[in-house]
Amino acid sequence: MNQSDRPDLVQTKLNTMTVHNLFLRRFKVVMVLSAMFSMIVLMSFAINTNRPFSDPEKVKKDSVASVKAFMEVYKVLMSARCLNCHPAGDIPLQGDDSHLHTMFPQRGKDGHGVYAMKCNNCHQPTNAPGLNTPPGNPKWALPPADMKMVFEGRTPRQLAQQIMDYKRNGHKTRAQLIEHARDTLVKAGWNMGEGRKPPPLTYPEFVEVWDTWINTGGYAPGNNAVPKK
Amino acid sequence: MINLNINNKNYELEVDPDTPLLWVLRDTIQLVGTKYGCGVAQCGACVVHLNGEAVRSCVTKASRAVGQKVVTIEGLSENNDHPLQKAWTELDVPQCGYCQSGQIMSAAVLLRENKNPTDQDIYNAMEGNICRCGTYLRIQNAIKLAAEMQRNESK
Amino acid sequence: MEPSKSIQNRRSFLKSSFLAGGGLMISFSVLPELGIAEKTGTLNLAGEWNEITGYIKITSDNIIKIINPNPEFGQNVMTSLPMIIAEELDVDWQKVVVEMGPHDSIKLGPQFSGGSSSVRMYWKPLREAGAAARQMLMQAAAETWMVPVEELTTKAGMIIHTKSMKSGTYGEFASKAATIPIPKGIKLKDVKAFNIVGKSKKNVEVEKILTGKPLFGMDYAHEGMMIAMIEHPPGFGMKLKSFDASQALKMPGIKEVFTLKLYEDGFEQSGFDTRSFNDLLVVVGKTTWEVMNARKKLVTEWEPAGDIKDIIGGRGGKKEVVVPGELESTTKQLEKLQAYASKPAELLRKDGDPETAFKNAAQIIERTYNAPFLAHNCMEPINFFAHVTDEKALLAGPLQGPGWSEPTLAKLLKLPADKIEIQMTRMGGGFGRRAYGHYLYEAALISKKAKAPIKLIYTREDDMTYGIYRPMYTATYRAALDANKNLIAFAVKGGGIPEHAIHANRFPAGAIDNYLAEGWQIPSNITIGAFRAPRSNFNAAAEQSFLDELAEVMGKDPIDFRLELLKRAKENPVGKNNEYDADRYAGVLKLVKEKSGWGKADNKKYHRGVAAYFCHASYAAHVVDMVLRNGKPYVERVFSAMDCGIVVNPDAATNMVEGAVIDGIGNSFYGKLSHKDGKAEQTNFHSYRIIRHSEVPKKIEVHFVKNEIDPTGLGEPPFPPVFGAVANALYKTTNKRHYNQPFLDPSTQQNTGENRKKTF
Repeated sequence: MNQSDRPDLVQTKLNTMTVHNLFLRRFKVVMVLSAMFSMIVLMSFAINTNRPFSDPEKVKKDSVASVKAFMEVYKVLMSARCLNCHPAGDIPLQGDDSHLHTMFPQRGKDGHGVYAMKCNNCHQPTNAPGLNTPPGNPKWALPPADMKMVFEGRTPRQLAQQIMDYKRNGHKTRAQLIEHARDTLVKAGWNMGEGRKPPPLTYPEFVEVWDTWINTGGYAPGNNAVPKK
Repeated sequence: MINLNINNKNYELEVDPDTPLLWVLRDTIQLVGTKYGCGVAQCGACVVHLNGEAVRSCVTKASRAVGQKVVTIEGLSENNDHPLQKAWTELDVPQCGYCQSGQIMSAAVLLRENKNPTDQDIYNAMEGNICRCGTYLRIQNAIKLAAEMQRNESK
Repeated sequence: MEPSKSIQNRRSFLKSSFLAGGGLMISFSVLPELGIAEKTGTLNLAGEWNEITGYIKITSDNIIKIINPNPEFGQNVMTSLPMIIAEELDVDWQKVVVEMGPHDSIKLGPQFSGGSSSVRMYWKPLREAGAAARQMLMQAAAETWMVPVEELTTKAGMIIHTKSMKSGTYGEFASKAATIPIPKGIKLKDVKAFNIVGKSKKNVEVEKILTGKPLFGMDYAHEGMMIAMIEHPPGFGMKLKSFDASQALKMPGIKEVFTLKLYEDGFEQSGFDTRSFNDLLVVVGKTTWEVMNARKKLVTEWEPAGDIKDIIGGRGGKKEVVVPGELESTTKQLEKLQAYASKPAELLRKDGDPETAFKNAAQIIERTYNAPFLAHNCMEPINFFAHVTDEKALLAGPLQGPGWSEPTLAKLLKLPADKIEIQMTRMGGGFGRRAYGHYLYEAALISKKAKAPIKLIYTREDDMTYGIYRPMYTATYRAALDANKNLIAFAVKGGGIPEHAIHANRFPAGAIDNYLAEGWQIPSNITIGAFRAPRSNFNAAAEQSFLDELAEVMGKDPIDFRLELLKRAKENPVGKNNEYDADRYAGVLKLVKEKSGWGKADNKKYHRGVAAYFCHASYAAHVVDMVLRNGKPYVERVFSAMDCGIVVNPDAATNMVEGAVIDGIGNSFYGKLSHKDGKAEQTNFHSYRIIRHSEVPKKIEVHFVKNEIDPTGLGEPPFPPVFGAVANALYKTTNKRHYNQPFLDPSTQQNTGENRKKTF
């Protein structure tokens, strides 16, 4: 498994990352988790964005736990809020039903659109008020043309392999992948303006399964894996 | 109180900074060439240039324009002689005319970034501008004509 | 000095320069290299206007102003109607200034933009006005020079007496001419001598449009003007139960919130007084954005309105109409249409013995076509300015039929008509929507109650969900063939919510021995109104695809099949009251056949569909060339043939046909307004799909039949047959007949991967 992972590169990048991470702020999130055992467990915990990451020794390989976590991750990544900006084509998707974005804006070289149709022409730094208005974020964009990071149409196995592949994941090391879940644009998936359905997991739940998946080895599910509804 | 620079003129305005630029232009400054069509960035009738980009003023807060340069259709050219305005006249593009200022403002960004646009480039730039009368084909031809005028001017 | 009456006057300027002698020289230029010039401008600089007929004003400096009587909604009457006057007046078009007239049916005629009637109904009156004014000017010159008027000629605004070598401008004689009674029975120009009509002229308002000058109702400004908006019920069949405005009133800029009844109980409505909601919850404030925000703070409770009784006046006296209170849904409406289709219906026309012919048929072909409600979606949302006091009313905004609205307004405001001034601004689209003046009445009543000048604005959502839609239609067509595949009978049974679309006396009526047309309708609270070629816009889709399918079954070329029927209709017409001229109908088919290279091998790469239709006194035919582009049907080329008689302004007319073609492709592919529990499911352009740039043909070739018939209609006739031609091309492209509009409905589209269709 994970042949596409590049520990060598991860190791090299790690040092700079760690220094950088020292400056990152810590924050706490209080969340409600509804557990699978028909019990409701109220708990509070901290998500440490500065988790000293991922020298290979810290990865506790556990393919079962890893795959299980990824199947939860997959549900989120394939939800409209994430999928819509990781389309198979060069036009983003839109809406809870992930239809092609009306007016068909193009990705452009840098992922920020083209000509009079640049993402930020409509997508403001913050959500516009009201129903059916453009959601906003300062980083609003598609992945760039040379690194499309397509989610649309990917099976769980394909998507897991793609994300763990340095060449196909936006040149992200394990540490950067962990960090990516804390990115403001990723977080924006849970705050996309009126009338839009959030991803199926809460944000802290997502971070938890994301970290678990990566920290247990970033395993890809088998060929026939199907996410539970 | 906010300060805006619109068509190279400074305005000190008593408006809520969250007000969309569209309504500041139309209701406060009475620059009504920028049109309200949908209010949700779907139709392109409200396109103005914010630092040269074709923003939809109906969803762009006035605060985003503070310290920036706003250009509206009224300020696109000094003598109504932007190549697009000339080409639009030459091909007598408008029918009702309501969407045309937005169309022109979008096309202006295209022409600045691409001196010789193909049909596909035009689609990619203009897809966000609706024309209910169906003057699209003339708009596209006028863009090509304006590009030609622009190329000839710079020779 | 004439007081400035129109909004154009106050805000614009005329390129002018005073000459040393005090005269005024106006320079107009439409040459692109010199920039664009204003053709309509403030004329406050001008000296005294001498009015010569209600349509023409001339100063002593020979500035010639032509008043356009009819509202402009993009059909270009601001240019084409004055061209007609200028032609007979004999002036240099470059020097003519055009101004929109106010509502004044005494001076300026019927003033109605709709039914493709503008040029048709004004053709003769305006020619006569121009010719009369020319005659009056010549009369004045003859009297001044003391020569016989018969010896005078004119050329481009000059009067010439060749014998005495005298000449003078119209301006020199304008004040004298204004005192001469308008002559009658003036000889009009020979059509062959036209030098303005028939030559393309630029839109006189193009510069204002391209530089963002205030032109539209939305742009209208008035001292002390407030903004008003109406909070409508969320769905048809609902009304306001209660509301709490306390939070809304605390919002910045808000003046007041109140309720208002549009029509009092028992009010007798005229045909264009359609309204969807009678109880208005109104918010008045300083600016548009402030009023929009305050509306969000209104706490409202709505309830079913139940059945409502309306009193509708009309030619046959007044009648009581019950509007059912049901909260309607599209799915249920479709079931209802199906159920009603098998019930007995009203007989509209019968020729021969269709029942027996169908009984004896060797083959019967039966097909049913459906189409949804459509919203007009004018780019400029509904709005109107009103300043109403106890003594008088000033109204300004986009309106297709001021003459329809003024009597109702007078009744509602209890003011005599001469105390009501209505100004028509340029309209950001109309398509029939602005023939219904409810919003003008609403604005007037709001202004009266608020005791302030107000502009009523509908948001896009208000506009789209308010109603006055194109009705929902269905029609079942049947054809009977004998054993030799001859067409022996034809029947159509059409229905709709709340009216059917059948034009019983149109083609192919008159061409088939046994013919039957029936209609039925289902009442509804969803309001409907004229929508670009009412009824025809559905018929042409259904009938023209049925004829296409019929031709295929009969083994005939679709154009030849139609021409055969038309030949029969001309040589040996069946029945009476056939509305169309078979020759002109066949003429456009033949023209489009020739121009499109129908049947030629070099068009093989295209899937071709043809359709033709007659409506609004004109004839249109299209050949649509379709291809699959990225797996999706795309109309790449269109050939159009039109017969609308004399074409006043050819390039603008071509523009109109191009627009109709694009509008037709867009609406047939995507147009749909559906309902759930009374609520419109499409509220803005994110869910109401409008055709966009990449989806329009790369080429639309428009050809006009050249003749000297007085102009007939043009705004509507090219629109309906587009639907049929598209349907027929779709069949060739996809091998599947499309019976239900919109043809590319999202529910039928696949939804994955690169080939994902453009759906909602």
